[in-house]
Amino acid sequence: MKFWGVRLASILGAVAFCFLLEGVAQGQSSFVQRLFVLAGLYVTLAVSLNLINGITGQFSIGHAAFYQVGAYTAGFCASRFFAQLNLPPAAWLLLMMITSAITAGLAGLLVGLPSLRLKGDYLAIVTLGFGEIIRIFAQNQEALGGAYGLTVAPKIQYVWAAWLLAILCIAVCRNLLRTAHGLPFLAVREDEIASSAMGVNVTQTKVVAFVLGSMFAGAAGAILAHFESFVSPPMFTMDVSFTIVTMVVLGGTGSITGSVLAAILLFYLPEKMRDFTNIPLSGVAAAFVAISAAVFAIRWVMQNFHGSAKDRAIRYLGIVVGALVIWFISKALLGNVPSLKENIDGSKLRMVVFSVTLVVLMLLRPQGMLGHHEFSWDWVRSKFGKPTIKEATA
Amino acid sequence: MSLLQLDQATIKFGGLIAVNSVSFELKKGDLFGLIGPNGAGKTTCFNLITGVYKPTSGKITFDGKEIGGTPANKIANLGIARTFQNIRLFKSLSVLENVVVGGFLRHKTPLISALAYMPNVIKETESLKAEAMELLKIVNLDKVADVRSADLSYGMQRRLEIARAMATQPKLLLLDEPAAGMNPQEKEELNAMVKHIRDEVGLTVLLIEHDMRFVMSLCERIVVLDAGKEIAAGPPDAIRSDPKVIAAYLGEAV
Repeated sequence: MKFWGVRLASILGAVAFCFLLEGVAQGQSSFVQRLFVLAGLYVTLAVSLNLINGITGQFSIGHAAFYQVGAYTAGFCASRFFAQLNLPPAAWLLLMMITSAITAGLAGLLVGLPSLRLKGDYLAIVTLGFGEIIRIFAQNQEALGGAYGLTVAPKIQYVWAAWLLAILCIAVCRNLLRTAHGLPFLAVREDEIASSAMGVNVTQTKVVAFVLGSMFAGAAGAILAHFESFVSPPMFTMDVSFTIVTMVVLGGTGSITGSVLAAILLFYLPEKMRDFTNIPLSGVAAAFVAISAAVFAIRWVMQNFHGSAKDRAIRYLGIVVGALVIWFISKALLGNVPSLKENIDGSKLRMVVFSVTLVVLMLLRPQGMLGHHEFSWDWVRSKFGKPTIKEATA
Repeated sequence: MSLLQLDQATIKFGGLIAVNSVSFELKKGDLFGLIGPNGAGKTTCFNLITGVYKPTSGKITFDGKEIGGTPANKIANLGIARTFQNIRLFKSLSVLENVVVGGFLRHKTPLISALAYMPNVIKETESLKAEAMELLKIVNLDKVADVRSADLSYGMQRRLEIARAMATQPKLLLLDEPAAGMNPQEKEELNAMVKHIRDEVGLTVLLIEHDMRFVMSLCERIVVLDAGKEIAAGPPDAIRSDPKVIAAYLGEAV
């Protein structure tokens, strides 16, 4: 009975969280509401791709295709059946999420069955090609609106729906990894020959992961279609696929919490940059100098200093302070350079900041923010050489 | 009765005949050795039995069933487990998790209940873990159950591979050079462990090994391969004095 009590409490907690977000978003501008929904969708996309790329180790770079299949399914159905069925918006959205998950899952099966016998680079190329095929197919089909796209009839803008899907996706992946059923997926990532010698059906395991990941992307697509009340091929270009892959890699392949953190960070950072206006170019140039110096210094400490985590943290703190000093000095010096006297807007710097963040993180932490680990307080404690909570209370 | 029977098993890779009409038979409870110089086709023979390769011709029968060309995962389900010459552990998984993967083929709960984290799946996971822990005790690795398997010493990794193979609860265990890279003391322990597996656990064991003293002291019957062909078969004493075997290993007297 305790089990079901905990289960009920966690479901209620998740629902409460979603409606809390909805409440917070209600008071905000439509721009902020949009950020809330898209952040939830990107979390879903990153976590579901992590199931394919990180947990099962099949490098797919065509995740936007399944997102598109889902979005177009919802758009197509809405224009034909919404008026007839006369459902309340929430029920319709739920129905569309399920329908889109099924069509995207079928698309995943269609691509997965033949191509998952391939490995590494070859699989990546096939998934990339599939993504392009789907996009160009939609672009050339009159029934799907062609290059102009489809207008999706009811505009349904629920923040809670996006986040409920994200939480469901996280819960499913976490449940998988908590039970013995997750081990064959990890085993396939580690060694296919050994897995099959242990009785694991390698192809079936990969296809299951692929279909499951595609289904979540499809459901996310349904929410997107109704949120924007419009779908068109340029919304699902290769950039979207690459952004999702970047989130997974940056978070640490295989780490669910890593994918969530990276998805929110990578989505929020470029959007936040829009807020900054009139940034002096000299300050930006100085920041480059300071960041480069800090990266070199941190790498030097990582390679040559082998003290305790606390001592390391002190050194890193020192480097950050040093970098700030360098920034101030070089800003003052560069302020006199005539070509750097202009001011620019943050929105123009968005992509630069995005790429610099990636380069810095890959230089300092190539295994991703969390590596193969999951974020937990025990993990943080172990970083500082402290016993885990379990050990401490035992 | 015969558990495993190879009848004229042959595999060709292009013009190379890696295993050429090899026939031998294992009875239930045998401790059988497969030896031969490098490149003789021993591991290829293992790969034929475990479904990594499909034989070009000839028959392989296990437990009364023809298994030549059956996929590897089905063969594991039929009851043949193996270890690998170049250790193939699931490196980033813990020692315990490696063994649980081996036991997983006996799972009964569907994937969908695992995704919903239902009580029956939790129970199954617990019992698979408990079984794995018992096996780790046999190979003396229960103290390091939570360590990442890549962080184990070489000898420990070899023992973990044996535990993982045993977790599938096979009828036949194939060991591919289990003693490679071990020091004399570790070899002694391994010798005792393999005997324990055969006598107490009741498995049939087929092993490939280069260390002659190890094979001769352990195995009751031996087959010798050279350049894909079977050149001798029999008990250790007969093999030791067989001129063909001596020639294959040391070269012929001039």
